[in-house]
Amino acid sequence: MGSVTIQNLVKRYGGLEVLHGIDLTVEDGKFVVLLGPSGCGKSTLLRMIAGLETVSSGDIAIGEQRVNDMHPKDRNIAMVFQNYALYAHMSVRENMAFSMRLKKTAQAEVDERVNWAASILSLEPYLDRFPKELSGGQRQRVAMGRAIVRNPDVFLFDEPLSNLDAKLRVQMRKEIKELHQRLKTTTVYVTHDQIEAMTMADQVVIMRDGVIEQIGTPLDIYDNPDNLFVAQFIGSPGMNLLSGEIVQGAGGKMFQTGDVTCELPQNSAAMVGQKVLYGIRPEHLQASMQGSGLSATVTVVEPTGPEIHLYATLAGHEICAIAHQRLDWKPDDELKLNPMVDRVHLFDAETKVAIPAG
Amino acid sequence: MRDPDSRAGNKLIRLPRWLTSEHPFPWLFPASAMLIVFGLYPVLYSLWLSMFKRNPATRIETFRPSWNWSKVFADDRVIDAVSVTLTYTFIALTIQLVLGLGIALLLDSDRKGFGLLRSLMILPLVVPPAVTGMMFLLMYDGSFGVISHMLYGLGLLSPSTPILAGGTSALWGVIIADVWQWTPFMVLIMLAGLRALPKDPFEAAAIDGATDMQAFFRLTLPMMSKIIALAVLIRGIDLFRIYDYIKVMTDSGPGTATETLTAYAGTIYFKNADFPYASTVALFTLILVVIIANLFIKIFKVRF
Ligand SMILES: Nc1ncnc2c1ncn2[C@@H]1O[C@H](COP(=O)(O)OP(=O)(O)OP(=O)(O)O)[C@@H](O)[C@H]1O
Ligand SMILES: [Mg+2]
Repeated sequence: MGSVTIQNLVKRYGGLEVLHGIDLTVEDGKFVVLLGPSGCGKSTLLRMIAGLETVSSGDIAIGEQRVNDMHPKDRNIAMVFQNYALYAHMSVRENMAFSMRLKKTAQAEVDERVNWAASILSLEPYLDRFPKELSGGQRQRVAMGRAIVRNPDVFLFDEPLSNLDAKLRVQMRKEIKELHQRLKTTTVYVTHDQIEAMTMADQVVIMRDGVIEQIGTPLDIYDNPDNLFVAQFIGSPGMNLLSGEIVQGAGGKMFQTGDVTCELPQNSAAMVGQKVLYGIRPEHLQASMQGSGLSATVTVVEPTGPEIHLYATLAGHEICAIAHQRLDWKPDDELKLNPMVDRVHLFDAETKVAIPAG
Repeated sequence: MRDPDSRAGNKLIRLPRWLTSEHPFPWLFPASAMLIVFGLYPVLYSLWLSMFKRNPATRIETFRPSWNWSKVFADDRVIDAVSVTLTYTFIALTIQLVLGLGIALLLDSDRKGFGLLRSLMILPLVVPPAVTGMMFLLMYDGSFGVISHMLYGLGLLSPSTPILAGGTSALWGVIIADVWQWTPFMVLIMLAGLRALPKDPFEAAAIDGATDMQAFFRLTLPMMSKIIALAVLIRGIDLFRIYDYIKVMTDSGPGTATETLTAYAGTIYFKNADFPYASTVALFTLILVVIIANLFIKIFKVRF
């Protein structure tokens, strides 16, 4: 009943097309995150689901109902805006009660629901304050409260945590996830923070320039990016990419760049002579100080605590590896790198599409 | 290195401290001078004048401080004028406020052509009020006035009593001219307010289930309340001092049916040449305005 189905959705502003045919199904009760760089059309898509932007072509359905031309007030959705959009002339209590007041809900029920939401969000001490008397994080929670008292079919969140400090963001992230686990309301959540996307989503939708690049579970997207954009966009530090070509080696197909050759997964569909990009995530590059492996030279060492980021040059390429051992790496040290073969990604150099590993 | 002579020269023209730019005096002087000459002095002089009893026949003025003031409170024409002024102010203000807000809501749009409409809207404001009065006088004319013609056609008025000749209709006639000229001013203020309202609370309200009507009463009005109060204050004070339309269109008539306080003061001054009493009525008007305006500010918590 709370599913959202989007078919071939297009949005144009005058002659400018910003969404080019979006197809997306959000199943009932799922938490879906729209992730993409700034300006890719995430907010536009969300606002179209909410009914705040008109549909240029295509269809949006909530549940079984086509909602293209339905006024936002009739869609039974709740939305949390990036900049809170609180009612400045109303107290926190009235902000949260607003939707129920419109429906002339009985006072007892209004009180009960507002108090319930306030207790979930630890807002009880602030109920009689006005938005301007609250901190950013508190306002954020009021905006959340205003959404959850509603019991909507769908929650829409537009970068709700982007204005919070790092600590509060982590805390709110957990609260939102807990809330979803408790309420099981279909949720569409917009962010450009990949950590938020990875940690909260049942499904991540990666967008770029008005098209969807990939849809999948967080780990699926991380482990099996469909194309170069997704591979580069997800992960920090980003995936290492070496450009070169496929050659026939002694033990089968190999990747070659300069005088470096690397092994490929057994059944890779890459063809000999194909120009490709060879991708490997930093944590899949095992670094050691001696032994066998590709030789690289350390340039920068960044200890982060749980791990050490090693930046190095390999055959003229800037490359990053993650080491967990507490070894005494120093710049200009010789480094031996061993890529984990089954974690190698190959992308066609021209189409930038992933080449299946077999 | 400068030679010591030039320093000596500087010393000669050094300004006293209160004339230097660090001192508030030079900054405040021009405005204060204006206020004193055109504001404070006339008020004090009126106050002084109002303390004399004038004999119009002999033109002799004798110092009788309470004479005019007791006369004001016993004068039936003053009481009538207060009631006419209040009626005029209240009706004209209400119409201008409602129309002004309504038109502003219609014009508050980014669609093509609305910018032009907004600038056309303020045209009536550039017409001098006396000219507006003359214009409406023509349009109200019993034999060839276009407005009279329409009102006859609608059966609202008969040719035997033109609009400005009827005891109650005359005031309406003046109010219509005032509304024509000053509603754009309301529109202007309201539009400035509306255009400055944030968009997202309205989007939030739509999602919370508010109809446009509910959004207007629960968001637009409260968010605009300060601006509305300010507009009411500015226009209210202006309306209370109405003089030009009355003078040009009805000259307080028929009889004294449209005689406002300022019109009455003018009559006493120019026709009866009783300058002290005219000053007293004018001061009385000022006091009323100040009291009403301050009550309004208190009640509606207007902040500047
Ligand atoms: N009213 C408008 N008129 C014209 N173009 C618009 C309008 N609103 C948005 N756009 C364009 O549509 C594109 C998508 O905008 P949108 O706000 O959806 O981006 P976003 O993905 O939410 O970005 P961000 O992460 O920065 O919020 C942008 O290129 C933007 O310039
Ligand atoms: Mg956005």
